[in-house]
Amino acid sequence: MTTRESQLKEFLHGPPPGQSGYPSEVIGSFGHSITMMVRQRRIVLAAFICFLPVLIPLMMAFFTSSQFSESGLKTFMQLTQSLQINVLTPLLALFFATMLVGQDVESQTIPFVLTRPIHRSAWVLGRFLAYLFVATVIMSISIALTFAACTTLEGFGYDAKNIKLVGHFIWVGIMALTAYGAFTMFLGTASKRPIVLGVAFLYGWQRLANIIPGLVDFLTIQKYINSIMPSLAMARMKEVTVQTEMGEFTKQTINIGIVNATLALLFIIVGLCFLTVLGLRGKEFASAHSLGG
Amino acid sequence: METLIEVKTLSKWFGEVVALNNLSLKIGTGVTGLLGPNGAGKSTLFKLMLGLYTPSRGAIEVMGHNPRNNLDCLRKLGYCPESDKFYENMTGFEFVYWLNRQWGMSRKEATHSAEEAIDIVTMTDRMDDPIDEYSKGMRQRIKIAQALASRPALLMLDEPMGGLDPQGREEMFSLIRRLGDEGRSVIVSSHILYEIERVTDNVVLLFKGSLLAQGRIREIRDLIDRHPHTITIQCGDPRKLSQHFHNSESTMNLDFEENALIIRTRDPNDCFTKLNQLYIDKSEDIEEISCTDDDLQSVFKYLTH
Repeated sequence: MTTRESQLKEFLHGPPPGQSGYPSEVIGSFGHSITMMVRQRRIVLAAFICFLPVLIPLMMAFFTSSQFSESGLKTFMQLTQSLQINVLTPLLALFFATMLVGQDVESQTIPFVLTRPIHRSAWVLGRFLAYLFVATVIMSISIALTFAACTTLEGFGYDAKNIKLVGHFIWVGIMALTAYGAFTMFLGTASKRPIVLGVAFLYGWQRLANIIPGLVDFLTIQKYINSIMPSLAMARMKEVTVQTEMGEFTKQTINIGIVNATLALLFIIVGLCFLTVLGLRGKEFASAHSLGG
Repeated sequence: METLIEVKTLSKWFGEVVALNNLSLKIGTGVTGLLGPNGAGKSTLFKLMLGLYTPSRGAIEVMGHNPRNNLDCLRKLGYCPESDKFYENMTGFEFVYWLNRQWGMSRKEATHSAEEAIDIVTMTDRMDDPIDEYSKGMRQRIKIAQALASRPALLMLDEPMGGLDPQGREEMFSLIRRLGDEGRSVIVSSHILYEIERVTDNVVLLFKGSLLAQGRIREIRDLIDRHPHTITIQCGDPRKLSQHFHNSESTMNLDFEENALIIRTRDPNDCFTKLNQLYIDKSEDIEEISCTDDDLQSVFKYLTH
């Protein structure tokens, strides 16, 4: 018997691989996804875009004279709430979460995964946690750096109250990343045009619903994100002034409270993740070129 | 022989395209060749066996169970897809390792198993190189390694010889035969009869989504050999050469082209023996012999009409 034959015999008759359970499956999927994400060039682009707000307070401090200067607190609130949480978190979700499942379908590597005896939910969860980890790191560093940059402006510094505010914004950022991520991941599984639909919903519908009179803003994720913002930020959003050709009107928003908003977000996140798993289980990854043989 | 796969009146269609049509068959243990031209439904049958597709009609059982979303079933299967697609920016080792981790193996087990499987397909020297730098044959071997790594009871190899050089093919034939010798069941698909003949004599013939024949390869070879073959002989004097064949019972038709004799025969072996003898005796000026019907597609077409 040759070495190679005995080697094969030894391998095949070795103990069967152990099945280490659901957490191990999630960790496997998480590790694989992280490895792929950190090697993609788009992570550099995403980080670059997310770190841009840091430059604004620095430029303000450098270019404006003290009599026209904005307060550091007001600048930090505006940048974090309006730009980082309401604009950049959906962007990060579109950047990474949309392709969490869709990437494997598009690159035709999905049969490798779906022929492993891994729970579909564990695979999706692992991938989602990998996205959340990467996006949270980028977002948290961006918020922390923006805070540091804002301390160069008037009346803002490293006191306990402000640091608590930073912590609150980071928590809101994580909730936003989770909710938007679950939404875009679902789109990536259910639709062939997830980016188009994602942009239309996140930057089109959400903006529109905020100015349409009535309660349609309840049909957005942003409504619940805004409801868990720090109270100082909430005060800014009580009334929205809308200018139209027929005149100016004010839309009052209903504050649903931080607990209710958190519960609503959790419901959205769990529901969308569940639908993603369901979609993955039911989906057949058939395409025209799969009929070849 | 124990039945591993049982297919009952199985049909699968995608829109108006019928990939499998009312297929019924049983596949037992050992090495089985799935033979058919492009579009025969081989890959679709694999995907149905793996539970990636749901049957449009009929049923499929793998080791007695419905494979769709069945993790217990998948635990016993290894699959090497035909498509040449991989995760970007990964080495061969990482590819097998991460798929092992997603199989549910621990870090240690996944590493060990990946190294062993890669060694079996003789890729250890290159396992830390990016897959992008691999040749087609190397990529094929890494795909086999990921399928082998979990020591599956049933290995499904979709066109595993595609893109391999002659030496790579010989190694692949040898590996599949050895897997069979070690008691593993392997289903290997190909559109080339010769490739299947090298690894098994147990064949399932598919054509346009239907079962054409199933059994020992010799029986199927006989079946194929019984259909008229067209043999073209380039020679100096075709008319003189034709005299050796026109009285033969197996000759169906003789045709002439410039410096060529075209024989349609029911018994190509007899014809080749005669031609060899004529060539050795140097009684005829034979320059070249070619069998235009060697293409499996035309054989299948003949068998279905």
